[in-house]
Amino acid sequence: MKKKVIAALLAATMVLGMTACGGNDSQQSSAPESSGAESSAEESPEASDAGEEESSAEEESAGGEAAAAGDIDTSEHVVINYMTTGDAPSGDAKARLDEMMAELNAILTEKVNAELDIYYISWTDYLSNYNLTLARMDGTVDLVGTASDWLDAWPNSKNGAFLELSEEMLQTYAPQTWASVPAENWELCKYNGEIYLIPEDNYAQWTNHGFTYRLDWAKEAGLADGVHSWEDMTTYFKWVKENKPDITPWDSDGTQYATMVGGWIASHSNYVAIDGINSGAMWGGTKDDLYTVYSPYMTDTDSLVEFAKMMKEWDEIGVWKTDVLNNTTSTNRDDYRIGKVAAEQHHTQTWTDLVSHTEANKIYQEDENAESGFFYFGEESKNVVALSITHGAMAVSAGSANPERALMVYDLLRNDPDCYTLFNYGIKGVSWDTDDQGMRIIPEGYNSDTDNINGMTNFWWGRNDDLEVKDATRAWDKIDAMYAEYDGIKIEYPYGQFVPEVDSIEGQISNINEVHTNYMKQIAFGKYSGTAEEIVAEYQAALEAAGINDVTAELQRQFDELYK
Amino acid sequence: MSKNKQESKPAVQVKHLTLWEKIVRHRILILMCLPAIIFFIAFSYAPLPGIWVAFVKYNYRDGIFGSRFIGLDNFKFLATSGKLFELTKNTVLYNLAFIILGNFLAVFVAILLNEMQSKWFKKASQTVMFLPYFISQVLVGILVFYLLNFDSGLVNGILRSLGVAEESLWQPYSTPGVWPVLLVIIYLWQQTGYNSVVYFAAICGIDAEMIEAAKVDGANGFQRIRYILLPSLKPTIVVLLLFALGGIVKGNFGLFYNVVGTNPLLYSTTDIIETYVYRATVAEFNFSRASAVGLYQSVIGFVIVMTVNTIVKKIDPDYSLF
Amino acid sequence: MAKQDKDLAESGAKVKLGTSDKVIRGFGYAFITFYTICCILPFLVIIGTSFTSEAMVRAEGVQIIPKDFSLEAYKMVTKSGGIWKSYLLTILMTAVGTSVGLSIISMTGYALQRKDFSFRNGISFFIYFTSLFQAGLAPYYLLMTQTYHLTDSYLAVLLPLLMSPWLIILMKNFVKAIPHEITESGKIDGAGDFRIFVSLILPMLKPALATIGLFLALSYWNEWYQSSLFLSSKVAVKPLQYMLYEIVNKNDMLRNSVAGQYINLADIPQETIKMANAVLATGPIVLLYPFVQKYFISGITVGAVKG
Repeated sequence: MKKKVIAALLAATMVLGMTACGGNDSQQSSAPESSGAESSAEESPEASDAGEEESSAEEESAGGEAAAAGDIDTSEHVVINYMTTGDAPSGDAKARLDEMMAELNAILTEKVNAELDIYYISWTDYLSNYNLTLARMDGTVDLVGTASDWLDAWPNSKNGAFLELSEEMLQTYAPQTWASVPAENWELCKYNGEIYLIPEDNYAQWTNHGFTYRLDWAKEAGLADGVHSWEDMTTYFKWVKENKPDITPWDSDGTQYATMVGGWIASHSNYVAIDGINSGAMWGGTKDDLYTVYSPYMTDTDSLVEFAKMMKEWDEIGVWKTDVLNNTTSTNRDDYRIGKVAAEQHHTQTWTDLVSHTEANKIYQEDENAESGFFYFGEESKNVVALSITHGAMAVSAGSANPERALMVYDLLRNDPDCYTLFNYGIKGVSWDTDDQGMRIIPEGYNSDTDNINGMTNFWWGRNDDLEVKDATRAWDKIDAMYAEYDGIKIEYPYGQFVPEVDSIEGQISNINEVHTNYMKQIAFGKYSGTAEEIVAEYQAALEAAGINDVTAELQRQFDELYK
Repeated sequence: MSKNKQESKPAVQVKHLTLWEKIVRHRILILMCLPAIIFFIAFSYAPLPGIWVAFVKYNYRDGIFGSRFIGLDNFKFLATSGKLFELTKNTVLYNLAFIILGNFLAVFVAILLNEMQSKWFKKASQTVMFLPYFISQVLVGILVFYLLNFDSGLVNGILRSLGVAEESLWQPYSTPGVWPVLLVIIYLWQQTGYNSVVYFAAICGIDAEMIEAAKVDGANGFQRIRYILLPSLKPTIVVLLLFALGGIVKGNFGLFYNVVGTNPLLYSTTDIIETYVYRATVAEFNFSRASAVGLYQSVIGFVIVMTVNTIVKKIDPDYSLF
Repeated sequence: MAKQDKDLAESGAKVKLGTSDKVIRGFGYAFITFYTICCILPFLVIIGTSFTSEAMVRAEGVQIIPKDFSLEAYKMVTKSGGIWKSYLLTILMTAVGTSVGLSIISMTGYALQRKDFSFRNGISFFIYFTSLFQAGLAPYYLLMTQTYHLTDSYLAVLLPLLMSPWLIILMKNFVKAIPHEITESGKIDGAGDFRIFVSLILPMLKPALATIGLFLALSYWNEWYQSSLFLSSKVAVKPLQYMLYEIVNKNDMLRNSVAGQYINLADIPQETIKMANAVLATGPIVLLYPFVQKYFISGITVGAVKG
């Protein structure tokens, strides 16, 4: 009897659960519904296509300024929600943001009868909340900031979170963006022949890693031209340790291992890594033979042994703290600014900040001889790969009720000078201004707590160098020289079109991640016991056991399909 | 105790009623349970069918039930890691230590506090014991690091000032063997204030007459604890232990992740299911795999609890959970 | 130590003690004193450090007495001005959630412990089962947002925390200590089940209500997870812990994430702010504890009821 009661109760609740979820389901079938909406959306551009073609001749001469706008029905005022990672500002900062948004929305309403609202995914558990919000598919968000290397752009394209953007749609609703992105770049935004992402491909930024160091000290250490190799780095660290007793050479935290070994391999080979397979970027080709997949972590044994030895030496010198692997509280970058450490390992973009005589960089105020050099990984072998253009990209949610208007708004944000500067810098004269050379300066009464609009709108998905206003505080002579050096040796990221299908090798990749993290942390901080040869051999055996060869073979198969 | 045995008799009398008669007879009691039942249906059972997500390749557009069924593929990464057994073992052993020592210390503290005469001392110390519970795991991790790290940690600072040579200083962050002890200590430190409240309240529920009578009979302190307090606390202890068993395969991620961090030198003694899964999947976000791991833990926990509960019920039904 | 001996002497004077009582008491004072020191020291460190300047903490580590007194961390947290509203919100939610939850839990706990209630095992299992199997994040999130439409609603935080299988089983266990005769005597007097519960059982449950009420209050007070899921940036006032958590995370993430490159980081307090948060979050709730303790004193005397 008792059992029956339980069974009845359970059954009842399961049914209830099912219906609740059925309700849920029907909610979710706003997904199919919205794909219905989407197909009608695809129809409507076709309908307006004819009109567009007629006007296409004028359009080109007219500069393409929303040429089709006249044909598009924008009679209904809509709100476009733009999702970005970041914390919502509060208090006075929010008030300042709202002022800017009011001006921006006035323009957007006038031009496309829409207004923009920012939907923040706060940094707390951001990956989880970002994906959950996308999974809702109920039109909560329209424009979605995404990135192929750090914000799941491809997984979300695959799992139906993003809307397929047909060429007609882009031409009709985002004509300026469509025209400004070259055809080969659109190719890089496709998965299964459909465009899912709008790339941030006209914004110069270098995120290749390296060491920022004190050039003035390097000179004292006998490195007249500064640091240009890992061996020079050893010399520099040794000198710092001996001559600057109060200064930690580099107060690293335990997360730097992957960049370190990646940098070492770039510096000692022609390896070009494929993005987005695992955090270690452990597979790729070489500059001379791009499409033969291999993993240098398996093949470049001698080089890895040498790396292990050098890192042991660094550990013994005392470059980092003894318990570096548990060090999560390091504030190395800030310490570099105030001259408490001698080096910072991060990318070029960070160096452009550290090299500039800004207010925060106290070292230049305290010591007029202070200079910051940058030893970039790959310098020795001239192996530098430009950033993938989908490092920042905008997508449209498949659940969006107004994908057309979302694209129109994006087109303005990215290409309209007024919208662009408003959205990225704020109201001119209040949050920013220009000097006589047209450089961006901070106006009087600027308050970094409330006026940093750039840090509130987080528009990392469509910045545009044509409209950027250069920051006057940056050391542009040094930065431009560095960029020129890169431009002389760089290759474009060659695998943009490759979206790995990892379903069948997901288990192996997870296990390889684990092995890599596990061993490389010990190797890259010289914390292993035994000899360098032994630990590298052990590491490679573990990688093999975790199935690295299966992954390499599977990637090669997918490469062959795509590139041959 | 003998009283309880007598009480269970009335329950036997009502056996011959039909279901409907029972419902009518107990309508008030059913109504009293109704809010809770509705609550658990709404927030626990309603989402439960969604556990299906562990068996599909989740596609947002198709929804959980429309996505492609892929069987046990989401479990594969854990099964093929070759570490499943070791991770499960670590998780279970740590939890056993937490549960057993945690309850032991909580009972111990509650009894000692009960013996304290000074009300002021009793109240103040109870409040103070609660403080660690409020320190977030993140902060606990930081404090432990400040205490133990080699270069500037407090422990080594003291050792250095005592003239201990640099080589023989303590290096816990590269000594895996000390962590089981450290983690248990940290856990006890954080949770005992909270856990002992239950026992403290249970002691208050003990018939004061019994204790007085024992005193009159000349029972000394140890005897009172041994023959009155402990037996009266037994049901509570058993229920709490049984309840904790259900979660025995679920690790305390916050504690391990924040205190041990991702230091591979220590994994041999500190790696639990949650920390492994976190590291293996941190590179790409996946609801299905997280649910799959959760399901694995639930099933094992379920089997353990059902077994133990059945055994307990056979021995003494009063102590069983359900 | 001296003070402790004095306490001991005082209490010794009041009651005549046997040797074993003295041993227990002596050991008890020593042990509890040691244990409380272990508990309070880290907290003093947290308080001290929260009032120290970030630079000093980086240079010399944590400290009990600030070497370089600074209110920077507190300024940072209270800067936006929203913290008082967050306090108010959390206090309100704690009060409402605890009282509603406590009523339901105690009712259920009583009913499930009634020996003559034929469904008690079934319902107990029904409730306990939920602590073993959870659907996981995605199904739960979709149910809450798509079916219940609880997005951006404080109900999404209030409701799921109302009760838990653990608290109900705990309550059931406390009720077990109350003799069945009391229910029987109520029945003889002709009182209905609910009347018996309210007028006879509840007054005897004070320590249990205090305990479970405390646990409930703590879970509301410390809650940040539901808030992080269901309260988007459109909700201006966030529960206290979540608000504090966000401030810390914001700073940490900006430093560590790929996105960090775009922001110019000034000297914002990072370590000290975590300490200040702990102080801000703990302070008020600790004041609640003495009220709870009041109810721990009044043990029940079965004889009195019987008589």
